[in-house]
Amino acid sequence: MFLRFVSQSIRRSPRRKAMTVAAVALGTAVATAMLGAMLEVGDRVNRELRSLGANLVVTPRSTSLPVQIGGIDYRPVTRENYIPEAQVPKIKATFWQLNITGFAPALHAAATIEGRRVPVDGVWFARRYRAPDGSAQETGLRALNPAWHIRGHWVEDRERNDQARECLAGAALARRLALSPGSVVTLFGEPFTVAGIVSTGGEEEDRLYVRLEVLQRLTGRLGQVDAVQVGALTKPEDEFARKDPARMTPAEYDRWYCTPYVSSIAHQIEEALPMAVAKPVWRVADSEGRVLEKVRGLMWLIALAALASAGLTVWSVMAATVLERRTEIGIMQAVGAPDWLVAALFAAEVSVEGAAGGLLGALAGGALARWVGRAVFHVSAGMPSLLAPLAVLVAITVALTGAAQPLRRSLALDPAVTLREGA
Amino acid sequence: MFWRFIWGAVRLRRGRLLLAFSALAVAATLATALFSVYSDIERKMRAEFRGLGANLLIAPEGSAQTVSLAGVAAAERLGAAAAPFLYTVGRLNAEPVVVAGVDFSRAARLTGYWRVQGARQAGAAECLAGTAAAAHFRLSLGSRAALEGAPCVVRGIVETGGAEDAQLLLPFAAAASLGGFQERASLIQVRADGRRLDQVREALARALPGADVRELHAVAETEASVVLQVRGVLFWLTALVLAVTTLCVTSNFGALVLERSREIGILKAIGAGERQIGALFLCESLLLACGSAIAGYAAGLLVAWWIGREIFSGAAVGVNFAVFLPVLAVTLAVAAAATLLAASRIWRIRPAIILRGE
Repeated sequence: MFLRFVSQSIRRSPRRKAMTVAAVALGTAVATAMLGAMLEVGDRVNRELRSLGANLVVTPRSTSLPVQIGGIDYRPVTRENYIPEAQVPKIKATFWQLNITGFAPALHAAATIEGRRVPVDGVWFARRYRAPDGSAQETGLRALNPAWHIRGHWVEDRERNDQARECLAGAALARRLALSPGSVVTLFGEPFTVAGIVSTGGEEEDRLYVRLEVLQRLTGRLGQVDAVQVGALTKPEDEFARKDPARMTPAEYDRWYCTPYVSSIAHQIEEALPMAVAKPVWRVADSEGRVLEKVRGLMWLIALAALASAGLTVWSVMAATVLERRTEIGIMQAVGAPDWLVAALFAAEVSVEGAAGGLLGALAGGALARWVGRAVFHVSAGMPSLLAPLAVLVAITVALTGAAQPLRRSLALDPAVTLREGA
Repeated sequence: MFWRFIWGAVRLRRGRLLLAFSALAVAATLATALFSVYSDIERKMRAEFRGLGANLLIAPEGSAQTVSLAGVAAAERLGAAAAPFLYTVGRLNAEPVVVAGVDFSRAARLTGYWRVQGARQAGAAECLAGTAAAAHFRLSLGSRAALEGAPCVVRGIVETGGAEDAQLLLPFAAAASLGGFQERASLIQVRADGRRLDQVREALARALPGADVRELHAVAETEASVVLQVRGVLFWLTALVLAVTTLCVTSNFGALVLERSREIGILKAIGAGERQIGALFLCESLLLACGSAIAGYAAGLLVAWWIGREIFSGAAVGVNFAVFLPVLAVTLAVAAAATLLAASRIWRIRPAIILRGE
């Protein structure tokens, strides 16, 4: 009887039911899309910020102080400290390895060209290496610095080859020496072809970049690295992150260790490479954190606004539906239905509508989120699968809440009055 | 007669109108807050990127080692923040150390990311030390650094993760006399408004023929793309929220008209034309919308102000009077559209049937 009543009510007035379901679906769609976009935007911006370059620099533990200006060493070279190149991939064996988007080992040297000392860096450009978990991966300067402008082309150094004499020249240096892609420059007595001219705006423009293994051979420092630049996706620093890890309780230390703060990632790199110190580059890490924090805050706010307006829509539609059906309630009461039964009937109906609307809305919301993702970030964002059932549940709850208040008011009215008014 | 009718409608149906009023007011509030935030977001986001320091660099051109200090004045005339830096090698405890000359008061706007223990600025005969340099020479706050030619008292320890960590930072004049520079700098860092970056760069390049004016691509491009993305998301989300709110208001107004079918029936029965009834309802709605827009605008400004304070710490989103007109327009348009949509049913109402109670 109960089920027949509910199903008949739904079948009798399909148009009105469809309107209600549509309203619920719309509200749910917007809320779902908003949450999806919100989850996505933090991630996207974090990745976008990675084009600022490395936010961590790893250098050998050393007793001497570097005396360098613009990449030129102003002290008789004493190279007792270095990081072994073979150990560098261990950076990818740390707890937060998936957050490390790229790294680039470098060896520093200086060559004399036309009577002036020019800093020369031996680096990985885009090198294939074997990660500690056995998989083959590729990383280097190119992955770390997507904002660098190259005229000509990058040096292709996927495989080791210590005889390949190719280099990148900084734009300022290239202007001074009148270099262009294809010209030849002599370094340490060997001719190198300029593959590309790199302009960054920074002091990289006064340097030459060659393959790491080539510079190692030329300087007689086989297997040695002076610095590793690391790019990592991090969580913005908060009060907790600024605490001194040495003074944390074990529980706090675990929490700190298992959060991708820039300081805890640095700590883990130092654990993996005991001969090195890892330091955050605050210029990048600091502003990254600040920007991310603002973006997240903003998105939460907008999502809240969207949820509020979606909730309002569902709520007001439900309220209107119940008010319209006051006569029906009066008749049911008049023929002797107890209040709880009428309430249960309406609750069942509203739940069905809420579920249907919520499901439709979750699907539409997913599509909407993907569309916004494509329009703004030029990638289609995947929807977290948990969001759909959650959206349906929330839709039902909001629909029930919206119906509750007017239903209670209608039930409280005397059926005689309601029926006489006929409204 | 017309106005008496409207006044009566407002007075007698206070409860139902209040509901419509609050729905519209919520819409206006959301519109105001979102418009305010949206119109201000670019400035706000770009301000956050100021923490990255310079986005332009004036470096020596060709074989020169230094640039003229004229670049600082030139940049400041263009409304950008600029600070000269000077690098030379000094001797401390018979060991070489890089000495940086910093114009601390100018550099303050470009070095917000420095982590400093102690003072951020050093006066005459004072200096700051990078963490690595301080550890190497065993310097701490207040200790004396016996730098040959310019001994100083350490006022702060600086940590940046960059080259500064291994340097001794002296006031610009002290470093210049130590290195024997006159009116020259090793480089000048410039922070220009991200929106006018190209303009400033070109103007500087024209004004300083002997220098190389470079744009720091990573900073400038990341800033631009993040700001664009955030603005884009905000735009779409704002549009969505407004669309939903509009629909909500529309359904609310629709219900308002439907409820009054009897009234419309009576009006028709006593000879009112459909146009007249429509005008009546429209007028009522627009009055309501004006009230809601004003109330919503006030509430929205409050919300926007709060957003500015909470999210963009301190820098409140400015009270933007220019936002009022679009908000008013949107509110009026929504109310009018909703009423007209519902009013199309007036045409279909047949007094005889409605009044009979069917």
